[in-house]
Formats: sequence, C-alpha cells, structure tokens
Amino acid sequence: MTTSPAVETRGLQKQYGRKRALADCSIGVPTGAVCGVVGANGSGKTTLLKLLCGLLRPTGGEARVCQRQPADERTFLETVGYLGQEVPLYGRWTADEHLRFGAHTNDTWDETMARERLLSLDIPLDQRVQTLSGGMRAQVALALALGKRPSVLLLDEPVAALDPLARREFLASLTAAVADGEVTVLMSSHLLPDLERVCDHLVLLSDGSALVCAEIDELVASHKQVTAPRADAARAARTMSVLSTSTTTRDVSLTVRIDHAIIDPSWRVDDLDLEEIVLAYLGGSSQREQVGTAS
Amino acid sequence: MTWLIWQQHKRQAALIGIVLTLFAVAVVVTGIHMTTMYHDAVRACGQNATCTSLDNIFHGYGAIVDTVHMTIALPVLLGALAATFVAGEVERGTHMLAWTQAITRTRWSTAKIATAAAGAVAIGAAVSALVTWWSNSPNALYGNRFEGAQFDTQNLVPIAFCLFAVALGLALSSLIRRTLPAIAATVGIFAAVRILVSVYLRPHYMGTVAVTGPIAGDTHVPSGSWTVSQHFSDAAGHATFLKGPNSCTALSTKEAAFQCLTRSGYRSVTVIHPASQYWHYQIVESILYTVPAALLFVIAYFAITRHDA
Repeated sequence: MTTSPAVETRGLQKQYGRKRALADCSIGVPTGAVCGVVGANGSGKTTLLKLLCGLLRPTGGEARVCQRQPADERTFLETVGYLGQEVPLYGRWTADEHLRFGAHTNDTWDETMARERLLSLDIPLDQRVQTLSGGMRAQVALALALGKRPSVLLLDEPVAALDPLARREFLASLTAAVADGEVTVLMSSHLLPDLERVCDHLVLLSDGSALVCAEIDELVASHKQVTAPRADAARAARTMSVLSTSTTTRDVSLTVRIDHAIIDPSWRVDDLDLEEIVLAYLGGSSQREQVGTAS
Repeated sequence: MTWLIWQQHKRQAALIGIVLTLFAVAVVVTGIHMTTMYHDAVRACGQNATCTSLDNIFHGYGAIVDTVHMTIALPVLLGALAATFVAGEVERGTHMLAWTQAITRTRWSTAKIATAAAGAVAIGAAVSALVTWWSNSPNALYGNRFEGAQFDTQNLVPIAFCLFAVALGLALSSLIRRTLPAIAATVGIFAAVRILVSVYLRPHYMGTVAVTGPIAGDTHVPSGSWTVSQHFSDAAGHATFLKGPNSCTALSTKEAAFQCLTRSGYRSVTVIHPASQYWHYQIVESILYTVPAALLFVIAYFAITRHDA
C-alpha cells in the first residue's frame, strides 16, 4: 500500500490508574479494508476502538483516523461511525426516532440510504427498539452508524449477542454495505469464523499490544506447520520464528512464520487455517516471551 | 440539539407539567377561597371584636397547607432527576451513541447543562410563584413568612435551591456515572448543605434586634420578623436564665415571684431579625446557592467533556 492507511496507531497506550488496557499498540489498516480485531477478553479490543473514535483519550502514543487525531470535533466525528459494545440504543425510541436522531446530529446524514436500508431488511420503523429482536436492533444500530456516511466504521463485537442465523445476516448486510470499498471497517469479535467470512485484514491483540496486523491471505500464506524429526528440534527453533511447538515421541511440530525461515527440505510443511494461526499466537505468547528474555 | 433534548426529556417534561398543573389548580382554588375567608374574618372581627379566634380560620385546610409545605422537597426531587441525566446514559451505554455523532460531546454537554439550569429555574419559579401567592393570607395572619419552612418555600430562595440541587445532581451524575449512587449523593449532600447553611450561616447575614417585654405575659414581637432566641435579662441588662436561688424565686406563688422579678428589673428579651431584613435575607441566601451552582455546572461540563467515556 502506497497511500497512507485509513487507520494508523503508533505505540498507542491507554492506562486506567494502574491497569494497562493498551500497552503499545501499533497498527496500520489500509483504506477500504475490512479488518477483524481479535484477542482474548481484556486484550484491549474495546479500548482500541474507543480510542479510535475519540471516546477515550490515549495516555501515550498516537492514533490517526483518516489522517486526523481523534478529537471531540465535528469534522473528525463525521468521518467515524461507531457501534459500541452490546449495541447501545435508546430502548424506548423507535427505529424511526433513531434515524431522526442521526439526521439531527449529523450534517452528512444520508436519510434515504439509512431508511431504505432498514425497510429492505423488513425492520418495523414504528416500534420501540427494545421490543425488536437482537438482530433487528443490531441492524438499527448499523444503519445509524452508516447513515452519516463515515469513512471509517468501528464495530465493537456487533454480533456477540446474536444467534448464528442473525449473525450471518448481519455480516452479509455489512459486507454488502461496504462492498464499494470506500469505507474502512474495523470490527472486533471473539468469533473467528465470523471474521474470517467477512474480513480481509486481521489485527491480533494480546495483553494490550498488536501481535499481528496483516492481510488475512498473506497471513495464511506466511504461516505453516513444519514437522521435523526430534533430533532437528534445536536447529528448527534456531532457524525459524516459531510460534508454538508440540512434540510427539518421534517428531516435533512447529507453527512457524516462513518468511526468512530456513526450512530443511526433509521436513514436512503443511498449510494452516486462520484459526490455527491465531491460536498459535495466543497460546504461544508466553513461550515467546521466555525466548525473548533468554536471548 | 433542541430536537434531541426534547426527544429525550419530553416524557419527564410531560409528567412535571401534569403534576404542576394539578398543584396549580389546588393552590389557586384553595388560595382564592382562603383569601376571601381571611378578608371576611378580618372585617367581621373588627366589627364584633372576635379577632382572637382568627388564628383558627384555616384549620380545615390541613391538606393543602401540608401540600404547600411539601414543596420544600422540590429542589431535592429535581436534583435527583438531574442525577440521572449523564449516569443513565452511561449505564445504558447510549453515551457511546450520543458522543460519537457529529454534534460533539461539547455541544451535547452544553445543551444538557443549559436545559437543566433553565428547567430548574422555570420549575422553581413556577412553584415558588404559586406558593408565594397562596401564602399571602396565611403570611398576613401569622406574620411568619420570615420563619423556617415559609422562608424556604417563598419568593427567590426556593428558585436558588432548585438551581443548586440540579447543578449538584448533574455534576455528581457526570462524576460518578452510576444512577443510584449519584442520586444518593445528591440527596445527602443537598440535605447536609441546606441544614448547615440554615443553622450556622443564616442567623448571621445581618445583625439581630432585641425586643424587651414583661417577664410574665406576651412580649410584643413585631409581625413578620424571625425570632432567633428568647432569654431573660436582669436589671443590668445581662442575660440570665432565672436559675438558682434568688430572693424572688423563693416566693410561694408564681404571680408573686413574677411581680418581684419585674420590680427587681428583670425583663424578657426576644432576639429577632426584623421584617425589614426579609428581602436582604432572600437575596443573600439566593446568591449563596447560585454561585456554587454555577461552579457545579462548570464541573459537570468538564466531567462530561474531558473524562474518558
């Protein structure tokens, strides 16, 4: 990517008293990407998204969204659509009132698009949203976030509370909405298969820092499972960057990054799927720290 | 922003409107009736010298008298309502919705604060106007508008109380961000401030006047004044409590003792704030609550716009 990323953070930090929610997070997400944000609970997903939309202020480092520092300014807030955790809505308002809320609070509001979006999804506009299903509520919230025509859409676990069918529908409609590639999406979730279905980029957070920020295809292509005889274990660990290791009586299986790796032709190399790669990063993080301190 | 404020608070506004209307009807109907009755009674007593029985003419009006006195709780109710404004949004997560729209959090908080302040003044003024008007004849009859609950619910002071309570509620709501603790803190702090100010500060806004009278029987205290305390003074003018052995108190009958004390120069002293100080008192106490209210609104503004969401 030669153009500057739509979302960029450098050494972003957020500390709540003594608790560090985000330690040192550096990511870059290109314009038009649909980027999944994964990580264990408490890894900093929500904090990262809230920092990007200006709800939180960083305690260190910097964030840029469309070349702007997140701030409480109209010109910045217009560029960002945010859907918070647990899909907050005004329960006693109707979907129609939410659309009017969007219209009254954003100069860039696209009433036709937002309204037709909900109508095409058969969402009753005149019913209090607290009486709607979780899937419908999520759609109302998404329509509200999309209605102001943001350049960057930040979604914090939008499907966490939905059943599998509603989840699939939500993600399909999200994909359709951002298909023209003008909107950059960052979406956190702990449901990796969902992200895999709609995302082309992935940010992997662990203990408040980004272990991975890459295109998913590239990620899958650059990570392999290498199986070597046990006798070669030490050499394999030296010549490749190893994420996780499992040992059988005869062989040692290593999940590795293959760029810059020296792979003995006698070793067996297998493809990995995204979930295996993510688990290797999350499960292996403590191991790699030990390697780091030893060197 | 006007649309959003109305959309969010129209139900509360409607409820307050209904309660206020019912209150206004009750106050106006009874007020007209009581005024007529008072004037009739005053006219009658001038003709046939039955003025001593005037005190009892409003005895049948206990319900409305109690209701009017209950408006002393209006400020704290409004304060509790204001305490839900920011905390309620944060608890339901809707602040994430409101504060990420292009209107900005700065404008959102300014509008909320302005609405809360205007609402407090408007509701406080409406209730105070009704109570003050209704109290015309009781005030005239008992001459007590400078005293306790009457002073607290008439003219300017109740408006200042409402403004202060709402500012306190909004500031605590923005700082604590949980509804119930914010309400509890608002009620507790408001009550504490009101008690401390009225007990320890209010008596000292202006100097007192001592009214002396006979040791037995009534001292003529001017109507409309606020009686702070009462004691006895000896011939030299020193305060005394008539305790301990004394040539007079040893006398067998009460009447004889009183006559003896009066002859020895003992007097009953009533310490008052005269009615002429009433408006000065209203203004001083109003300022005393309005200035911190302004400060609390500023605190609320910074707590909303500068803190993490």
